[in-house]
Amino acid sequence: MKRLILPLAVLVALALAVLPMVGSDTMVQFGINALLLATLAQSWNILGGFGGYVSFGNSVFYGLGTYGTAIAMTNYNLPFGVGLVIGVILAMTGAALVGLPILRLRGPYFAIATLGLNGAMMAIFSNLPIAGSNIGLVLPLARNDAMFYELALGLLVVCTLTVLWISRSRYGMGLIAIREDEDAAGVMGVNATLWKVSALVLASIFTAVAGGIHAYWSTFVDPASAFDSTLNVRMVIMCVFGGPGTVFGPVIGSFVLSAVYEVLAAQISTAAALLFGFVIVLAVVFMPRGLADVVKGGRAISWRYFIRNIRENRL
Amino acid sequence: MVLAQILLNGILLGGLYGLMALGMALVWGVLNIVNLSHGALIMLGGYTVYYLFTLAGIDPFVALPIAMVVMFAAGFALQWGLLNLVVRSKMLNTLLITFGLDVVLTFAAQLVFTADFRTINPSYAGANFPVLGLTVPVVRLAAFCVAVALAAGVWFLLNRMPLGRAIRATAQNLTAARLYGVNPRKLYAITFGIGAALAGAAGGLYGMISNLTPYMGASLTAKSFVIAIIGGLANPFNVILGGIFVGIAESLTALYIGPTYTDVISFGLLVVVLVVRPKRAVRAA
Amino acid sequence: MKTSLTLALAGLMTATALTGAAMADDIVLGASVQLTGTNANTGRYYRDAYQLTVDKINAAGGVKVGDKTYTLKLNMLDNQSDVNLSVRQYVQLVSADKVNFLLGPFASNFALSDSSVAEKYQIPMVQGGGASTQIFSRGYKYVFGTLPPADDYFASTIEMMGKLTPAPKTVALVSADDSFDVSVAKGTRKHLTDAGLKVAVDETYREGASDFSSILTQVKAANVDAILWTGHETEALNFIRQMKGLNVNPAGLSAFTVGVPTADFRKALGADANYAFGMTSWLPDASLKDRWFGDAAQFAAEYKAKFGYDPDYHAASGAADVETFVEAIEKAGTLDPAKVRDAIAGISFDSLYAKVKYGENGQIVLPQVVVQIQDGNMVPVYSTDFMTKPMYPVPAWDKR
Repeated sequence: MKRLILPLAVLVALALAVLPMVGSDTMVQFGINALLLATLAQSWNILGGFGGYVSFGNSVFYGLGTYGTAIAMTNYNLPFGVGLVIGVILAMTGAALVGLPILRLRGPYFAIATLGLNGAMMAIFSNLPIAGSNIGLVLPLARNDAMFYELALGLLVVCTLTVLWISRSRYGMGLIAIREDEDAAGVMGVNATLWKVSALVLASIFTAVAGGIHAYWSTFVDPASAFDSTLNVRMVIMCVFGGPGTVFGPVIGSFVLSAVYEVLAAQISTAAALLFGFVIVLAVVFMPRGLADVVKGGRAISWRYFIRNIRENRL
Repeated sequence: MVLAQILLNGILLGGLYGLMALGMALVWGVLNIVNLSHGALIMLGGYTVYYLFTLAGIDPFVALPIAMVVMFAAGFALQWGLLNLVVRSKMLNTLLITFGLDVVLTFAAQLVFTADFRTINPSYAGANFPVLGLTVPVVRLAAFCVAVALAAGVWFLLNRMPLGRAIRATAQNLTAARLYGVNPRKLYAITFGIGAALAGAAGGLYGMISNLTPYMGASLTAKSFVIAIIGGLANPFNVILGGIFVGIAESLTALYIGPTYTDVISFGLLVVVLVVRPKRAVRAA
Repeated sequence: MKTSLTLALAGLMTATALTGAAMADDIVLGASVQLTGTNANTGRYYRDAYQLTVDKINAAGGVKVGDKTYTLKLNMLDNQSDVNLSVRQYVQLVSADKVNFLLGPFASNFALSDSSVAEKYQIPMVQGGGASTQIFSRGYKYVFGTLPPADDYFASTIEMMGKLTPAPKTVALVSADDSFDVSVAKGTRKHLTDAGLKVAVDETYREGASDFSSILTQVKAANVDAILWTGHETEALNFIRQMKGLNVNPAGLSAFTVGVPTADFRKALGADANYAFGMTSWLPDASLKDRWFGDAAQFAAEYKAKFGYDPDYHAASGAADVETFVEAIEKAGTLDPAKVRDAIAGISFDSLYAKVKYGENGQIVLPQVVVQIQDGNMVPVYSTDFMTKPMYPVPAWDKR
């Protein structure tokens, strides 16, 4: 099974790449969203899953990417690619500036400190004239969803490859060591601050590009949609649902949840969110280590697995 | 004069903020669960008081204890039937499950109560009296007093009653608590129930000052969270003080910097508190 | 691994396979409206108005295009008050469901995002929920709006203030910081300067704020004659309640862009709603003749009978959107989106909402009627001249 995963992933990626040629517009539309969300979950995974540092501030990098692209394209008429680069630079700078003081905090304190970043950044951008203040910016219209789709797919692939590399490198070992026992990691010669800040900066790159793609695609940017705090919650949920600290877990998790949500929203409009809530609750009860763990090793899934999970975690 | 009035506004509102955070701090400190559905519990408490007032004609301040009993039962059942199943799991998972719970409660509330906004509007809702040239709104003052009284109650429970000692013992060491013959499952449920009851009281008071919608929970959760951290999890009075601190800070920000910046300031304070005094911030009750 | 991937792909498939194609004799209008979530309270006006109007038109024989008769169909989705979801749903409506035309969502920020889908796919959208001038300043060709420009919302109120005795001299302007309210505040500042009024307090608050005590304290200290307030209904509710709690009494009046015409709002506030000034672009008046409903009063009666609550201008504006399409399709004699678009641009007809005629930028121009709550009822007070005597100056809270 283990040997099958990589070729299988390549096959899936190839299959996804041809989707715009065969799928409907809605499918492509859904695909762009699902791929971007998967990228967000995957980049959250770098510091959150491997390093064990739960960040609620990643949506800030998304917003910076969004605005970097939007400002470059609307105010300075720069091409999309340049806009993306500006967004990435903004986000990386932001990640480094924010990361240095905040990442000195351990465990839950870090998570809590990041909670405020999003609201603060939203308020700042709401008062910036160059960012259109609180009424936002309108980007030029591009009628080319297939391009956005392939860009999103490419981004997810690169992001996942990066995570794959992390999972097999000394760098990743360092992050895992920090997750398991930060003091011990320090003793072993891991420069914890450097590791953590670089993980945050790395995550900010992919997150910002995802934001930039989304900005150009949706053609309208305002503070509320750029710095959407529920977006960060979704990243965490998708990553944890799929399996944090694994290479494919976050991707699978976000595809599954996106699909569940889309089906619910299309089928039974009003109760969709309610059922989505139930799915999350049940998932935590029955598969606390994520989807990736459920299917690990290819063993048959039986009810015993779920019962054992409950036994382990109940009081 | 403006400054004094604004400080007074901040203090009165801050007391209520503190009460909101109190239940969250208790559950967090004892059970180690950061309850993201706390705001939804506040919302449910608000609706309970609303219906007791509008349908049964019970005065909101009389309805408050009834709502607390109802919310205690609801909280007890939630912890007993659901959260106890996952409580030993990683913190991330408890975050996730309470988030799911929040979604469920919010949208169930929307189906049952509809999206209409409600206000708890007794005849004295807008009453006020002047003191030294300042205007004191009666309901806000009452809410402040209720908040302080409930904090005193929680302090008394934790420090002077056998049940409270058992709760504190559980918070410090689950295994040791077992040796005392404490049934942790029940104790956890009771603690969560108390947290929910406090949330319920806060919701009722909030409905008299502000308004109720099924979606009000999320922002209140965030606010409670910030205050619980600033006030610490150890002493109920500190949580109220934390609330007052945030209340004043928000009011002053609105006066001097502009109302659009209040979020920046309250979260900025949080970060400062965390970076400067991280040791103090979180300790079990 | 395999299971979950299959699951994910199965999800992908079902997500897109669930959509039915329109019948040949149907004209399908697509809309994504806030049926749940924070905006559901106002979103329901659009849901109900769309449905009522579509049913009414079908009952009257449907839509005649050439010698063929079509039935109107409504394909309405719930965007759960989530902007991003609503954009996705509009794309689904256009590309998968193949709806013929688009009706709008509620609120300016939704209309801003969603209308770019209409423009992108070149399907006309007539929306009655977004008033922000920003929606119509982008040079879009396929977007039309039946709410008057946000900039001028307070124009008639300010004009009326000049004719009151004693006329208010100083004003506090309080606004939320979203697209619609920023538009209103910007326009209002200009109108105030032109009218020679002094803005003593000018405060903007975060959308969704629930505590106004700081702003109110400043308003009280500035001792203004009038408060002009723009934001969302829940916030207006809190603002008024806290005004009373802090005993804030402007010498003249306080006026609100939203809330006052809504029955729900008056119910929630009870007697405290009295004396509040507001505005509406529509009144259920029998003088507004309509091809399907007879007139606006009959529309209001039918609406109330069917849904159990009174319609306000949101509902009337939504009804006008549906009627716009029917009139334009019949005029164009085809369902071709580009031709129908041209027909809408040149349309002019009487409806239960107003005389519908779109400006160069796609937005209707209508005066706002100033209304006041007097003894629990909404009373029209002023449009170009006084209609009813306003209760003015507004008594202090403790003298009511």
